[in-house]
Amino acid sequence: MNRYDCIIVGSGPAGLEAAVNLSIRGKSFLLFGNENLSIKLETAPRIDNYLGFPGISGRELQRRYREHLASMNIPLRTEQVNLVYPMGDYFSVATNKNTYEASTVILATGTSPAKLLPGEERLLGRGVGYCATCDAPLYRGKTVAVVGWSNEAALEANFVAELAKKVYYLPVRKFSQTLRDNIQLITSPPVEILGEHQVEAMRTKTETIPVDGVFLLRDSIAPSALVPGIQVENGYIVVDADMQTNLPGCFAAGDCTGKPHQLMRAAGQGQTAALAVTRYLDRKASEQ
Amino acid sequence: MLELNQETFQDFIKGETPALVDFWAPWCMPCRIFAPVLEDLSDELDGKVEFGKVNIDDNPDLASQYGITTIPTIILFQQGKPVTQMIGVHSREKVLSTITSHL
Repeated sequence: MNRYDCIIVGSGPAGLEAAVNLSIRGKSFLLFGNENLSIKLETAPRIDNYLGFPGISGRELQRRYREHLASMNIPLRTEQVNLVYPMGDYFSVATNKNTYEASTVILATGTSPAKLLPGEERLLGRGVGYCATCDAPLYRGKTVAVVGWSNEAALEANFVAELAKKVYYLPVRKFSQTLRDNIQLITSPPVEILGEHQVEAMRTKTETIPVDGVFLLRDSIAPSALVPGIQVENGYIVVDADMQTNLPGCFAAGDCTGKPHQLMRAAGQGQTAALAVTRYLDRKASEQ
Repeated sequence: MLELNQETFQDFIKGETPALVDFWAPWCMPCRIFAPVLEDLSDELDGKVEFGKVNIDDNPDLASQYGITTIPTIILFQQGKPVTQMIGVHSREKVLSTITSHL
């Protein structure tokens, strides 16, 4: 398997700035992220503290980010990263489509504004899942609720519906995709996941729907679930001044490392992480 | 790691030695990454714990019998009874300490 110098997880300002710097330094890397780059950026009406661009809109900045990537021929991969696993002197990364290897990783996953649903943690792995493409085949012929935060969630609901008998889709955000016939759209917001030992039902504001399983498809996975063994405090990845985490070769940048959640801080950390990756790779190479 | 099926499963988990079973499937990308970690642990715990794996595509009844809804899931059995289970992928150290705490 081809081993990249680095894999960047996340396409907000931290991930993109890291990509730009790794590209300038001639490193081989993969950049994984969302089609919209960053939902927080996309929905920011006006930004006044981004140096040199007073009053710029999130959408305009997003457009410029895209242009910047295109001008440097940096492709964005929209596969969803489900796992980053330290293997000793490299990392294995699993997406919904493939596995990859890299000597280093930069986590720039942002923060997920969505709170845990009551029942979610208790029933995780007992009917509650985060990866529809991983676990959908376990629900062959069954009834499943899919709660979608991300834009790709409707596609995943369609995939689940190919295997499940019936799917209830509860979109938290607007979506554009067409749903399969055996999917019933539920517009009432999800409130709680019910069940004693296994998932039994999904309670919404207006009704209780009996289901065998619930998929919760958020924009980002909690760092502790994404990277087994990573040190996290109060939900944030612990890093040193070089953006190095407790796992050698694993760096983190942007909102996932803490507050303040600001664009320039994120970009600056992305740059710091990329340069630290470069030094780390050089040191490794000289050791061999 | 021993590949288990409906016929061999019960004998495997009822043995004298504690048995660890990995429920997995070929299309599960995290399972592919976790498998070599478990192989490695099976060498380290040789003689103390038997390691086996169940392909849930080929053995859907075993998966449903043990309530597997997320893979990978590993279950540690002693004399045929599940004593602990870990859902999803965990660090090598965490898997090792969880297993040894039950020995």
